[in-house]
Amino acid sequence: MSVEASEALELAATKRRARLTALFNLTLLILLALLWVVLAFSTKTFFTWTNIANLLRQGSMIAILAIGETFVIITAGIDLSVGAIVGFTSVIVAWLLTHGFPIFPAVLITLVVGFGIGIFHAFGITSLGLPPFIMTLATMTALRGIGLLITNGATISVTNAAFTDFSIGYFLYPILPNLFLMVLLVGIPSYVFLHHTRFGRYLFAVGSNMEAARLSGVNTRGMIYIAYTLSAVTAAFVGVLLASRIGIGIATQADGWELQAIASSVIGGTSLFGAIGSAYGPVLGSFILTTINNGANLLNVNSFWQRVITGFLIIVIVYFDGLRRKRI
Amino acid sequence: MTDGPLMNRDAQERDGDNRNGAATGAAPILALKGLDKRFGPTHALKSVDLLFEAGEIHAIVGENGAGKSTLIKLLTGVYPRSGGEVYWEGRPVGLATPHEAIGLGINAVHQEVVLCPHLTVAANLFLGEEKQRFGLLQHGAMVREAQKMLNDLGFRLPAGALLSTLTIGQQQLVAAARATMRGTRFLIFDEPTAYLTRREVAQLFALIRRLKQNGVTIIYISHRLEEVFQLADRVSILRDGQLVSTRRVADTDEQSLITGMINRAIDQVHYKETISFGPEILRTEKLTGRGFQDVSIRVRVGEVIGLYGLIGAGRSEFVQSLFGRFPRTGGQIFWNGKPADIRKEKDAIALGIALVPESRRDQGLCLNLPVALNLNLPIYKRLTKVVVISPFAESAAADRQIRDVQIKTASRSALASSLSGGNQQKIVVGKWLNHGAKLFIFDEPTTGVDVGTKAEIYKLFARLLKAGAGIILISSYLPEVYDLSDTLHVFRRGRLVASHDSGHVSEKTLHETILTEAIGV
Repeated sequence: MSVEASEALELAATKRRARLTALFNLTLLILLALLWVVLAFSTKTFFTWTNIANLLRQGSMIAILAIGETFVIITAGIDLSVGAIVGFTSVIVAWLLTHGFPIFPAVLITLVVGFGIGIFHAFGITSLGLPPFIMTLATMTALRGIGLLITNGATISVTNAAFTDFSIGYFLYPILPNLFLMVLLVGIPSYVFLHHTRFGRYLFAVGSNMEAARLSGVNTRGMIYIAYTLSAVTAAFVGVLLASRIGIGIATQADGWELQAIASSVIGGTSLFGAIGSAYGPVLGSFILTTINNGANLLNVNSFWQRVITGFLIIVIVYFDGLRRKRI
Repeated sequence: MTDGPLMNRDAQERDGDNRNGAATGAAPILALKGLDKRFGPTHALKSVDLLFEAGEIHAIVGENGAGKSTLIKLLTGVYPRSGGEVYWEGRPVGLATPHEAIGLGINAVHQEVVLCPHLTVAANLFLGEEKQRFGLLQHGAMVREAQKMLNDLGFRLPAGALLSTLTIGQQQLVAAARATMRGTRFLIFDEPTAYLTRREVAQLFALIRRLKQNGVTIIYISHRLEEVFQLADRVSILRDGQLVSTRRVADTDEQSLITGMINRAIDQVHYKETISFGPEILRTEKLTGRGFQDVSIRVRVGEVIGLYGLIGAGRSEFVQSLFGRFPRTGGQIFWNGKPADIRKEKDAIALGIALVPESRRDQGLCLNLPVALNLNLPIYKRLTKVVVISPFAESAAADRQIRDVQIKTASRSALASSLSGGNQQKIVVGKWLNHGAKLFIFDEPTTGVDVGTKAEIYKLFARLLKAGAGIILISSYLPEVYDLSDTLHVFRRGRLVASHDSGHVSEKTLHETILTEAIGV
């Protein structure tokens, strides 16, 4: 075969792949829609305003957490501490509110605490040379300890009614709960940042090939700082939302949420090897997981079995996702 | 010597060389007949006929890319051969897997140490053949036995120490010791002395001579011709995948080996246009840094400066320093006539120096990202309007480079990994053109690319030069660096030892001179 002929074939194959990729990006959305349709027909209660609003609330916090986690995973890193940060910052914001801070400064200070945790992560990774897994595993353990020390193991009850009402309120009754509005509030800027700014491009480049990015003039250390602070700040934000939702602050809350966030991100098409992912994928991923749990509840599936089913589904979804990546 | 046809008659006639030394009467332990290897379009080994006599030390010499490593990998079963036959003690053998080669008693000591750094010397020596009792490892017994063996070999190495605590040279000796352990009858050394100290070389040579006395056949591959003369009985020369000749070492000299290594066909004239030189871009004065000393060169617009030398000669270290990876310790760099301080890569990038690294995959490209992102990576700041990247500016910048550098890609959003090697190379160049680089450093630009792609890369050089850039070219392949360069600098042991203004036609005598300078005969 001549060089020209083989190149023409190669070009045709690449174009075909590009078209297929565009189609497959819709598969998650189709999967979610399919789940909703099936549940709407198989249960009486699924497609009611109350349940939909409830589902959107349930999925919101993991969705926000997963968006933050995705920034880190795109750089080929991992942040295991996000669940612990949620628990820890729920204590911080509850403590601040019970000590007379108004809502806005209390939330702001909590976010700054999250920012500081992210800076510490990035420092450990870039300056101390610790693997992201170890660095965030260590803070995951330590933060829960610090949170329990602050309250001496007790829970702090939030008495500020305006704060706790927020999470049960609606932005647009009856379809848009405030909590889901927060997903959009975090998600839309995240989408713009990740897909339409140069720092977003740099995150992908760092995850794809750190050395090539550095040799192209990208401040790779700076990008690590950005990724881990974004992850920690969104986790702190979720901590505030959780405190609002359950009305208490305690460091043992949000146990295992980091794994749910990672699972949501991966179901949403993020590659744990870095450089592949989006801002909308994790949101879809988390609502797929939430829908499965919600549907299983309505269908009266034993909650122990739900865990088994969720684990199994993660394997299936990610396997097929990997399969289509290979094929196209 | 019953297998008459196995004699390398063609090669003898071609080179008029009748001294291939088959007169000793020793039986061949290994005979290669028409051994052939292709990697896709690349013909790495072309019908090699070669006999190895039992108990000889047989040196193989040749330039980089002559086919030495391919030959070793065929003999050790790492690659299957594409054609030809191999006879072990007169019987045809497949050598399809490393396991088969080891089973016959063929072993190799590679240039890079392939042992486990986190295990002890003894554990490495016994790896795969551990001493056990009731399913438990006999650590003490293994260390004692390993120590005795090392002492017997004349190596002063601690058997109980972790391998990683040894120097590279000492690790190389451990690898050699390991290779002698397992019933080895045929042992291949690939550039074993590259990292050894003088004393370690002496220890290794003593081992090799002792192995020979014990009847082991040795293949010894080295760039250091003086070692060939110290050690080997016979020497074979490979060139462009072909066997040039096999001679008795006693009947040859270094100069004639060098002539054999580079004597090539004249049809390999490389693409080069005459371009008039412009003003000076970069000048170094007695630049000194890690691995090189007192290097003074000058690059002008439209000029290709070639740097030639063996691996470890300091040419790569020199350009790394120009690019800010290892800051200089002495001397000066002038950029456009003004002194420049290059401490970090970003200083070099800001000046307009671009490095097109040898390993595109490791250092040059984000393979699983789109072509456009790779092309625009250094200029996203410029493409950003207010906060957001302008999609129009981004596409336009990428498309311009795809057109100008003639990158063959389905679209700007295709992944870089979907492109051919040559086109990936062009992305790296296009990236820096986008950034406005004036000086391009090409580190081994043609390794691992086929002939057609090479021609493309050479055309790219001409385009860069016409566009007002200068080029520094590093290549271990002498004809390439010689033909493409306007000035060729030869490095040896960290110093610039000679400079040549090249013409455009290969001149065999000049090749000989350059290779001699680089080897330092």
